[in-house]
Amino acid sequence: MKANHVTAVIVRHVYEVRRNLDRVLDMVYWPVLDIILWGFFTIYLTRGNTLHPDLVSFLLGASILWGLFYSFQRDMTVGFLDELWSRNLINLFSCPLGVWEYITGLICVNLLKSLVGFGCASAIALVAYKFDIGPMLVTFLPYLAILLLFAFAVGIIMTGLVVRYTTRIQNLAWSFAGLLQPVSCVFYPIKSLPKALRAIAWMLPTTHAFEGMRQVLAGHGFSPTHFAWGMGLNLVYLVFAMFFFEWIFGVARDNGLLVKIE
Amino acid sequence: MKPSIAEIKNLSKSFGDFAAVRDVSFEILSGEIMGLLGPNGAGKTTTIHMILGLITPTAGEIRIFGRDLRAHRHEILQEMNFTSPYVAFPTRLTVYENLVVFARMYGVPNRRERIEELLETFGITSLRDKPIARLSSGENTRVGLAKAMLNDPKFLLLDEPTAYLDPEIAWQVREMMLKLQRERGTTILYTSHNMAEVEQMCSRIIFLHHGRVVASGTPIEITQAILREQRDEPALEEAFLRIARERISA
Repeated sequence: MKANHVTAVIVRHVYEVRRNLDRVLDMVYWPVLDIILWGFFTIYLTRGNTLHPDLVSFLLGASILWGLFYSFQRDMTVGFLDELWSRNLINLFSCPLGVWEYITGLICVNLLKSLVGFGCASAIALVAYKFDIGPMLVTFLPYLAILLLFAFAVGIIMTGLVVRYTTRIQNLAWSFAGLLQPVSCVFYPIKSLPKALRAIAWMLPTTHAFEGMRQVLAGHGFSPTHFAWGMGLNLVYLVFAMFFFEWIFGVARDNGLLVKIE
Repeated sequence: MKPSIAEIKNLSKSFGDFAAVRDVSFEILSGEIMGLLGPNGAGKTTTIHMILGLITPTAGEIRIFGRDLRAHRHEILQEMNFTSPYVAFPTRLTVYENLVVFARMYGVPNRRERIEELLETFGITSLRDKPIARLSSGENTRVGLAKAMLNDPKFLLLDEPTAYLDPEIAWQVREMMLKLQRERGTTILYTSHNMAEVEQMCSRIIFLHHGRVVASGTPIEITQAILREQRDEPALEEAFLRIARERISA
C-alpha cells in the first residue's frame, strides 16, 4: 500500500467537499437536524419528570452516535458514486492505484467527514440543550469502536454492490442504515422488540454497542459480553466485506463493468 | 532491432456469447507509434482496456516492459499513461486540482512546477482554476493530454486523442506527440478514425475487424493487403472503407 496513492484519494475527496455543496450538506445537515429533533423531544420528556435523567440524555447521545454510524457508511458509498457520476473510474483505475488503497483513502476521508458532522451535532447539543457528550464518550469509547468498525464493513459492502449494480441501487447509500436502525435498538432496549426480531438484532454489532451503552448508564458498568460480541461480529462482517469486495471487483473486471459504467 | 515494450499474445475477450477480441497478437517496439485501427466495435477499446488492466482477458497474455501485466500491474501502470476524450474528470474540481490528484497518484516530483509546465505546453494555463464542468470538449481533451503526460510515461495509450479538437489544436497535439516520441523515445499506441492522421503519425498499424487482426504492418503494407493491389502511397481511408463496406454487405 503506497501512501501517495491513499493521499491522492483523500485529496480528491477533500476537493470535492470544498466544491460540492451537496457533500457539505450531507456532512452537517442530517446530524444537525437529528440533534435538533431529539433535543426538543428530550426537553419534553424531562419536563414530565418521570424518567431517569441519564436515560433522557442517552437519547441525545444515541442520536449523535447513530448519526456518526449512518454518515460514515453513507459517505463510503457516495464517495464511490461520485467517481461514477463524474465518469472518472477509467482515469482512476488506469493509474497504479490498488483497490484497497482506494478504499483506505475513502475510509480516511469519510472518517474526517463523519467527525465534522459529529462535532457539529455535539456542539449544538452542548449549546442548545446543555448536553455534553464528552464525559459519556470516554465511557462509550469501546462501543464507539464497534459502531465505526461496523460502519466500515457496511460501507465496503454497499460500495461493492454499487460496483456491481451501479446507479441502479444508489438509493441504498442513503436508505440502508435506516433499515438497520429499528433492529439496532438505538433508542430502546432489545426487549422492546418482538421475539422474532430479537434474533436478528443480536446478529448486529450496533445492537451490542447500544445495549452496552445502556448498561453503563444503568450503573452496571462496562459489559465485556456485549463488547466481545460486538467485536466478534465485526470481525466476521469485516472479513466478509473484504472478500465480497475483492470478489465483486474481480467480477467487474471480468465483465468489463468498470468501463461500462462510465 | 529495437526492444519490445509490449507483447500481446493470443489475447481474447468474450462477454457472454459475444467475442469482442479474438486471438489477437502483436508486439509494440520501443519508441514507435503504433496505430490500432478498425471500424466501431472492432475491439480496439476493449484491447486498450485490457492493456490497462481494466478488463481481465478471457485468454492470452499481456507483457509490458518484459513483465506480466497480471502479476505486475501497479509497477507497469506507474510507467504508463492513458487518455481518451470519452473519459471524464470530476467535474466540480478545477483543472489544477484534477492534475494535482493525478500527480500525487503517480508520485510526480515537483508537482506544482510540472503541472504549470504542462498547462503551458497544452495552452491551458488560463483554464487552471476553472472547474472541469465549464470546459469545452476540446479543452477537456487537452486536460486529458496534460494528465497523460504528468508522469513522463514510457508507454502512452492515446484513444482518439484529437477527436474533439479543431484542426489547429489537433495539429499541435500531433506535433507534440511526434516531438515526444523523437526526443524522449516514448512508445505510443494510437487509435483514431482520422486516417490521414494515422498515416502521418504511425510507423506500424494493427487493423482489427470483428475482434480479429485482419492486417498488420506499415501504412503502405496495410493499404496493399486490404485493397489487394500495388500502391505507391498509403491509402488507409480507402482501405478502411473497403473493410467497413464489406462488413455492411456481409
